[in-house]
Amino acid sequence: MTEVKKTIEYINERIRSGDAVVVTAEEMVQIVKEKGSVKAAREVDVVTTGTFGAMCSSGAFLNFGHSDPPIKFGGGEIYLNDVPAYAGLAAVDTYIGATSMSVSRGMEYGGGHVIEDLVRGREVVLRGRGYSTDCYPRKEIETVITIEDLNQAILCSPRNAYQRYRAAANSRDETIYTYMGMLLPNFGNVTFSGAGVLSPLTKDPTYETIGIGTRIFLGGGKGYIFWEGTQHDPKRGLGTIAVVGDLKQMKPRYLRGCTIHRYGTSLYVGLGVPIPILNERIAQSAGLDETQIKTEVLDYGVPRRDRPVLREVSYAELRSGEIELAGKSVPVSPLGSFKLAREIALTLKEWIERGEFLLSQPLQRLPSDSVCRPMKQAEVTPLVRDVMTKEVITGRADYPIAEAAKILREKNIDHLPIVDEKGKLIGIVTSWDIATSIGTKKNRLSEVMTTRVITAHEDEPVDFVARTLEKHKISGVPVVNSGMEVKGILTSEDISRLLGRRKK
Amino acid sequence: MKRKVFIRYSSQKAEEPILASVIKESGLLVNILYANITGKGGEILISFDASEAEMDRILTLFREKGVEVWETERTIELDRELCFDCGACISVCPTKALRLNQDFSLELNEEKCICCEVCVSMCPVRALRISSKL
Repeated sequence: MTEVKKTIEYINERIRSGDAVVVTAEEMVQIVKEKGSVKAAREVDVVTTGTFGAMCSSGAFLNFGHSDPPIKFGGGEIYLNDVPAYAGLAAVDTYIGATSMSVSRGMEYGGGHVIEDLVRGREVVLRGRGYSTDCYPRKEIETVITIEDLNQAILCSPRNAYQRYRAAANSRDETIYTYMGMLLPNFGNVTFSGAGVLSPLTKDPTYETIGIGTRIFLGGGKGYIFWEGTQHDPKRGLGTIAVVGDLKQMKPRYLRGCTIHRYGTSLYVGLGVPIPILNERIAQSAGLDETQIKTEVLDYGVPRRDRPVLREVSYAELRSGEIELAGKSVPVSPLGSFKLAREIALTLKEWIERGEFLLSQPLQRLPSDSVCRPMKQAEVTPLVRDVMTKEVITGRADYPIAEAAKILREKNIDHLPIVDEKGKLIGIVTSWDIATSIGTKKNRLSEVMTTRVITAHEDEPVDFVARTLEKHKISGVPVVNSGMEVKGILTSEDISRLLGRRKK
Repeated sequence: MKRKVFIRYSSQKAEEPILASVIKESGLLVNILYANITGKGGEILISFDASEAEMDRILTLFREKGVEVWETERTIELDRELCFDCGACISVCPTKALRLNQDFSLELNEEKCICCEVCVSMCPVRALRISSKL
């Protein structure tokens, strides 16, 4: 039982009469610290939150109205500024998702940018194709529209506002490009997402006040939570919300298309949830400071679903700009804007104080005990050790080239890993290296071998190695252990054989 | 023409005399503007005089030795109209020329900037640009 018991109707009465005490989640930290949660719960009616970050599961429903003669896009194709939009609805409805990418400009422009351009009132080229029916005879159309020309433009996103998010670093010896941005080699930097002290779901982690029908700040307008978000994972503190709102009321300041370098396009969304302080329990969680809000740093260098946890970290440490990782001080980047998150919490506070924004009673709370499960896969992910050739034929750097040519021919192979006297990998010779050495004065393998060898490890997924082969335009890799001893070899032929099996 | 080249080393490559070999092979007179190398890899920014053809050869020499390398040009400009102060760029900046100030606004310190251009691709809204003034 709680000492303080307020209701949303009571708080709304206070908002209407201009008496409600509204503070931002940042201000609440101080109030709870000074007065304790019971007193804070008595004095404060609403805590406002805010977040501004890239949310890939965002998009908008649009309705264009009918052309004359009419056309049915459903079952056909739709492009907005060359970005493919969903054509699996009725004649002139579509859904444009943030990560859809332009067929002409690729990652430079995507669905997120289309949404921003619409909100900015800019002209957008609509190009579509139908298959022609007796009632929808037209086959093609190209026209220019603005948001004003649309019957409805509804921002509707299945997953926004993660309660908190994992921070990212990279153990690999090369730069990688992820949805967490560019991650420098050997733990060269850390990136993180989430607004920490202002993060909406963090401030009511059991969703006592948040649920279906909760009115929120969305993209600069008013929106609603309509369901739990996809991948909602409350037991692990990773809740999410599905949100909806009128795109026509939104502002470009709070909806920005973006390109995550060498990853793809997305949409930065500004979102804020008001937390009614009904009791001291809610006051307590709404007053959590960033030292109390924790997350984990994960190694994105490991291309698996379950990435290794490098360390636990608080948002306060992340916010400081540097954290300790792998024995050194590593610079940290936020990916979301704390400045805009703060601006959103302040805007929502003003709306409520002015009586322009009343709280809504959720029709149903978000689930707090469900779990997010992984994909059911028909076959287990094959690892390098399952597919590689284990009996590797190796050579030595001092072999004559002719001898290597003989080995490759007799054994019908294309790759000869070169090892030193201890069996450690020091290079590789391919049939190409040998072919191109003909007619030169080179005699020994040491003169033709590649010393910068791209390798794989036994416990890596084959799909990852397939990407490595493609990236470096090579046809095989020696498989080594941590001591650089050759344990096997994996070639594109081995991988094609596996893919052939998969398709059966 | 004065050119600037940024070289990034992996940990394996940090132990090899790559810059020295390239200097020897190309006969280049190199000025090191910035360097940060540890056993875990690192980066070097160099400048030198070279023609377009020479430049290609030098970049190829570096690439053959297995390091990431690119030519950097001009200066970096921060477009305040586009920037929304996320700070994604700050952790990839090798000289801490980019930072969030007290009110969480992004600041670019042009004096510290060595124009390695890494921040340009990190920015999600292309608010960091290579300036055309040379």
